[in-house]
Amino acid sequence: MSELRYVRPARVRPLPEGAVPVVRLKEVTKRFGKVVANNAITLDIHSGRIKALLGENGAGKSTLMSMLAGRYKPDSGTMEVDGRPVRFESSKDAIAAGIGMVYQNFMLVDSMTVAENVLLGQEGGFFINPGEMEARVDALATEYGLAVDVSARISDLSMGERQLVEILKLLYRKSRILIFDEPTAVLTPEETNRLFEALWRMTEQGKSVIFISHKLEEVIALADEIAILRRGRIEGELDPTAIESKAELASRMVGKEVLLEVDRQPVEVGEPVLEIKGMTGLGLTDVNLEVRQGEIVAVVGVAGNGQKELVEAVTGLVKPPVDTVFIMGQPWRKFFAESTWNRSMCYIPEDRLGLATMRNQNLVDNLLLTTRKGFARGMWLDKRRAERDTEELIRKYDIRPGRIHALAWQLSGGNLQKAVLARELYRQPRFIVAEQPTQGLDVSATEEVWRRLLDARAMAGVLLVTGDLGEALQLADRIAVMYRGRILGMLPTSEAETASRIGPLMAGVLD
Amino acid sequence: MALKIRKRDEPWKWGALVIFLGALLFSLGVSCLLLAGQGKDALHGMFILWEGSFGNLWALEGALLKAIPLFLCSLGVAVAFRMQIWNIGAEGQFALGAIGATWMALSFPGLPWYGLMPLMFAMAFLLGGAWAFIPAVLKLKLRVNEIISTLMLNYIAILLLDYLVFGVWKDPTSFGFPMTPEFTSGAVIAGIGSSRVHWGLLFCAVVGVGLWAFMRFTRLGFELKASGEGARVARYAKIRYGLLTMFVMGLSGGFAGWAGCIETSAVLNRLQPSLMVGYGYTAIVVAWLARLEPLNIAFGAFLLAALRVGVENLQLELQIPAAFGVIMEGMILLTVLAGQFFLTYRIERAPREGGE
Repeated sequence: MSELRYVRPARVRPLPEGAVPVVRLKEVTKRFGKVVANNAITLDIHSGRIKALLGENGAGKSTLMSMLAGRYKPDSGTMEVDGRPVRFESSKDAIAAGIGMVYQNFMLVDSMTVAENVLLGQEGGFFINPGEMEARVDALATEYGLAVDVSARISDLSMGERQLVEILKLLYRKSRILIFDEPTAVLTPEETNRLFEALWRMTEQGKSVIFISHKLEEVIALADEIAILRRGRIEGELDPTAIESKAELASRMVGKEVLLEVDRQPVEVGEPVLEIKGMTGLGLTDVNLEVRQGEIVAVVGVAGNGQKELVEAVTGLVKPPVDTVFIMGQPWRKFFAESTWNRSMCYIPEDRLGLATMRNQNLVDNLLLTTRKGFARGMWLDKRRAERDTEELIRKYDIRPGRIHALAWQLSGGNLQKAVLARELYRQPRFIVAEQPTQGLDVSATEEVWRRLLDARAMAGVLLVTGDLGEALQLADRIAVMYRGRILGMLPTSEAETASRIGPLMAGVLD
Repeated sequence: MALKIRKRDEPWKWGALVIFLGALLFSLGVSCLLLAGQGKDALHGMFILWEGSFGNLWALEGALLKAIPLFLCSLGVAVAFRMQIWNIGAEGQFALGAIGATWMALSFPGLPWYGLMPLMFAMAFLLGGAWAFIPAVLKLKLRVNEIISTLMLNYIAILLLDYLVFGVWKDPTSFGFPMTPEFTSGAVIAGIGSSRVHWGLLFCAVVGVGLWAFMRFTRLGFELKASGEGARVARYAKIRYGLLTMFVMGLSGGFAGWAGCIETSAVLNRLQPSLMVGYGYTAIVVAWLARLEPLNIAFGAFLLAALRVGVENLQLELQIPAAFGVIMEGMILLTVLAGQFFLTYRIERAPREGGE
């Protein structure tokens, strides 16, 4: 396993005796229909400290914080701020009480500047002097050490910088309790480090931070206190300095022993299933890549450096230049003209609900989406066999809810991904393109996906496009690092220094 | 008392039916107000409306008769809508179908029905489909929005029909009226028994069941449904989206063409401008009300046809403007669509803080 990427500053600050929490949740319960999302949760938030909420997808983290941020109302239980009970009718009330939340999807106006976004919707005169506006926001950014150009337009900013703008918005509104919902999902490792530093600085100034995550190493590195949520209940609260191993934390989170490391036995390498030869165009420059049956080749890089273009060209969403892409030994055009539904190429896209599945259709129809030729008898579709096979796959992959008539949008992220994986592996592919296959998945689902991909090597070669370095190091035989449409390096994972060489390459630094 | 809007956690089981009936009642209520505004006795008006649409056998036959072309047009519209292709050109495709059928009827007047009917239906399907094919090709090749092109083609189709009946196909014995000669008996769809309702009804049933089976059990039907999720998903699933677009538009136009063929042959027995009474537009209303399901379309077509017949009756008895029917039709559609809001949201009383 890769070493911790985040360095925890040396600061052990025990909670002073008798400290009064800024926020206190007591026996808070929230139901959605028959589902109990939060079950009698009691939690204290102290000022100047980072509390991590750790839990699998669907453990109830986001629901709990949405109540604190005024989006939902609890069915029972009380919430106290500064010792006084509060009832939030809307997020406005929560903001007034000093609670702000940074959601996963940023809420910014792309065509406006940073300063304008921060001041948007604030009280004040009708006419605002842009200079003064920027000066005010800049002062705030400096105070908390947030490095962002206040006069830049949002559309020119990276995801990490946009997140800083969201934080600035909260700080400007004098929020004392800042909630972050999976803030690192869209960030590069570098940006994540910078975010952590900003968070530490804010706590030094007396702010409270609540950090929702399911990434263990981040939580261990960042938090002052960890609360583990499991199935809507607080499973336990612990001190991160007292944690012995990640595996221990993981097992408490999922309630069973989970090894975050997968056992990757080498598989005999066979014929090439993908060859890219000197491809230039579509935003790519001189890309050469080969994937053979039996190996996993990972493509990593900061998002937007050509990975998407590469995947689209390989999977047939756009046409690559002639004689650059060869799949299973055939030129691209010939391959797609003659490709069969099975024993061919399959694609597990990042966009599970919008591309890989039909959101308003049931699991049988979603199985048929890419396998329909296998169920065709003349012009008819053998729906009964499709239903039987769907049932079997649901059982084999433990897809919940275990009904074939569940619609795609009703499935959680992990279950939907399992369904996509089940379908694509059902096609017995020879070449798999997997794009961010575990993004947003909890530990057990991630492990399952990883295991399936490793098993698939017996019949196929895998091109793994991922933003998660740990995943690339765990699964891949070789890692290609992309930077500005080029492959800057191809590193074998068998060498120990590979992990440390990837970072500079991702930033475009060649040694 | 304050009201609050809240999103439903679970779907509302009988919601669709309740909303439909509620919207119908609401529309009838507003219609009453409109009648009262004109100084008419509103309740008496509603009674006449009911009498005129469901009150007697004659009215019911009239409704069924009008439901036939409405059903076929609506079925065609729904097929295209399923794929998120907005064909609002059923009116023009209907006209082309009528022209195709007339062309055959006038060209081979001597043939017996079993020879002539297939020719008329085939040509109606072909011309109606071809008319819808034009926007499909424009959409695929030049990215012309099909909403605009199908709508524009409606006007061209109606003018084409006018040109034919005022010119080359005009009956020399019609004293100058714009109409073709009456069809020979082989070109006329007969009535069922002694009723006014004709065998086109059976044809509708066959087409309806056929389409339902096609959508549900065939690979092409499945691909069509999948393409409704968008061109990107279609490309991901290796569905030939362009080909399917053309196929669906052809089918859609063909159905409307059949409606034109049946209406010309069975009801008018000749081609004349009075054929065009807006079935193609009402079909869009029906398709939406029915949420694109064939069986619902049958009910919806009958309901709106009955409304039409009833309003005609109302018009005669109470001297109401002709626009009244169109207003009601539009109102029903709008209220049903607006009512969909209650499928995802509920309104509840907000508890007051002061009570504590």
